[in-house]
Amino acid sequence: MTDTALKSEPADYVLPHHPVRDFLTGSVASIGITFILVLAVGLFWVGPKFVSFGNVSIMGTFLIVPLIVGAFAGFALLSGVVDLSIGSMVGFSSAIFALLLSMGWDPFSAAAVTLAFCLFFGAINAVAIVGFGAEPIAATLGMLVALRGITWVLLGTQGAIFAFNIELFNLVSTQVFGLPLFFLLAIGLTLLAALIVTRTRIGRHVQAVGGDDKAAARAGISVKRVRAGALLLSAFGAGLGGIVFAGQLGSAARATGLGLEFQVYAALMIGGYSILRGGVGNPIGGALGLLAVAGVSNILDLLAISPYYVNIIVGLLLLAAVLLDRLRGGDAFE
Amino acid sequence: MHTMKRAIAVMALATPAVLGFVGIAEAQDKFKLGMAVGGNTCCEWMKAQGDVARAIAEQNGWDYVELSNNNDPATALKNAQIFVQEGVDAVIQFNGQPSSNPAISAVMKQANIPIVTYDIADPGMYFVGIDNLGAGIAGGEALGKIIKEKWNCEPDLVISSEGAGAGIVNEWRTGGMRTGVKNICPDIPAEKYVSFEGSGDAAVALQPARDLLAANPNAVKMAVVGINDGGVLGLINAAEQLGRADEVIGWGQDGAFITGDNVNPHLVGSVFYFLEGYAVYAVRDVIKPVADGNTPPLKADAGDPASKVQPCPVTAEQAKSVPDMPERVAQLLAAPAGTTAYDLFCPNKG
Repeated sequence: MTDTALKSEPADYVLPHHPVRDFLTGSVASIGITFILVLAVGLFWVGPKFVSFGNVSIMGTFLIVPLIVGAFAGFALLSGVVDLSIGSMVGFSSAIFALLLSMGWDPFSAAAVTLAFCLFFGAINAVAIVGFGAEPIAATLGMLVALRGITWVLLGTQGAIFAFNIELFNLVSTQVFGLPLFFLLAIGLTLLAALIVTRTRIGRHVQAVGGDDKAAARAGISVKRVRAGALLLSAFGAGLGGIVFAGQLGSAARATGLGLEFQVYAALMIGGYSILRGGVGNPIGGALGLLAVAGVSNILDLLAISPYYVNIIVGLLLLAAVLLDRLRGGDAFE
Repeated sequence: MHTMKRAIAVMALATPAVLGFVGIAEAQDKFKLGMAVGGNTCCEWMKAQGDVARAIAEQNGWDYVELSNNNDPATALKNAQIFVQEGVDAVIQFNGQPSSNPAISAVMKQANIPIVTYDIADPGMYFVGIDNLGAGIAGGEALGKIIKEKWNCEPDLVISSEGAGAGIVNEWRTGGMRTGVKNICPDIPAEKYVSFEGSGDAAVALQPARDLLAANPNAVKMAVVGINDGGVLGLINAAEQLGRADEVIGWGQDGAFITGDNVNPHLVGSVFYFLEGYAVYAVRDVIKPVADGNTPPLKADAGDPASKVQPCPVTAEQAKSVPDMPERVAQLLAAPAGTTAYDLFCPNKG
């Protein structure tokens, strides 16, 4: 059976096209509805406190880093390369940044040097994957392990670098209209990323490369340049996330960024991205995935239910997202 | 259709911002205690610390809010902010990932909420905890006596299962145990002392412990010390897997795995901290005075703590007379207010 035959005869389980069904099962609409459901459940179980000023602010504070990292890592996913090293990059970035702060550097110089280091490691990813054709999962898994090792070396035997800076802490904790400034900036960044993806030529090139790199190349798009750029962006975003993390916590530690790649990618997948299939997803869907997961986590926090249930719920949401993708026909739907 | 999609997405993204403006004022008259438990699944005592704090709060007629730090520094900071939002009057925490403690201190200071921290000191928090160095040395000396009796102070290795993440606490406990061994057996050559990073967790320690044993194939007489019972058990378990546990003896810290029906026979002793009962000290010396309007001066230094928990070194044989944790919790809560677990259960009270 040829590919053409496969595409012309969808599997039995694929739902037939219908405008309303297509709309409801679309990636952004489905996660948008999921998010609204989470809000409804929160209001029902927790009460008005769930949407209170302070509670949304707390949720927002701890979504800043995943939102930033997700907005940038989404470009790599869209271009068809998954960057597994983002969690380790966040940890590495926070360690370098905290180390420089502890040595008396001013925060802006420390941030610039930290981002330069992150771009350097992102460039290594790009050279391995784009230059030498390495499998993205293998190459970035190697980088994940290597960066974690470098971070642990930097953190030394104490396993942490304390670099609490009250001005920096106050800056990242700044509230505007009752919400964290950096949360609003991260939402703005997400909207900007969505605009780039859906409304600009660069965005269309990224999606084209992720959707079918051979067709994109035939159309004159430089697949290598797009993927290298996306990997650099991914590293930059993770670096930025690490800097904000260190500013929030006043330190870097071995646990910083640990498992963040799973948190971010699970949310991005719930929000409509695909890890292995490029060209699919929208930054707004990814952000809503993060918001939905944060909402679930917050409901459990406020009801004093064990946080371990969050993993079960996130797993079920992920499974539902994958099944929904199959029901609507996967590639064919896109 | 595109317009509808866009509308749903924008509505969903904007909802938290819009709803954030809903101000919720909650009337509160009772004293409210917040408790952030460690949240590491390794250890039963982390949950027990919350159970005891909850029971004591109820006995005092206080409201009580419990959150789990999930053994994650960012979650610990988030919990601090939730406590502020919940309007607690005082907080107790165990934060096994203390790198976020400075930020937590800042949040609590801004909200003017006193916070007690267990076992890992921070300049902005009341310190309630064990005399870590004293506990380390006491455990090391007890193990040293066994090394002297069993091997004439000539072990092949003295292995340290470190927990570097705990910082100075690791140096006090694990380093203190080495000092204690040296006090009894001063002539053990320096090269016999080896270390591995076990992170104070039996499961995490297993692999590096196996590596260490593989790197020392001829070592037979091995004594193990560590930051806690879990870390020490990591090496004992690895030795059992490799069929080399016959002459391994370990002495732990914290007493988490020295009671009950399944005590590992190679864990020959530990130092009980009775971690589950720390709330008795915290409430007696900090929280109750705060509730009564007599906030005590901040004592944040581990060397000059707000409340010092007495260490209780025991051999495995002596530990048999100590009830397991659920029973200890039950007895502790049935005892007169202010009675400590040390008073009730330590077989070697000084």
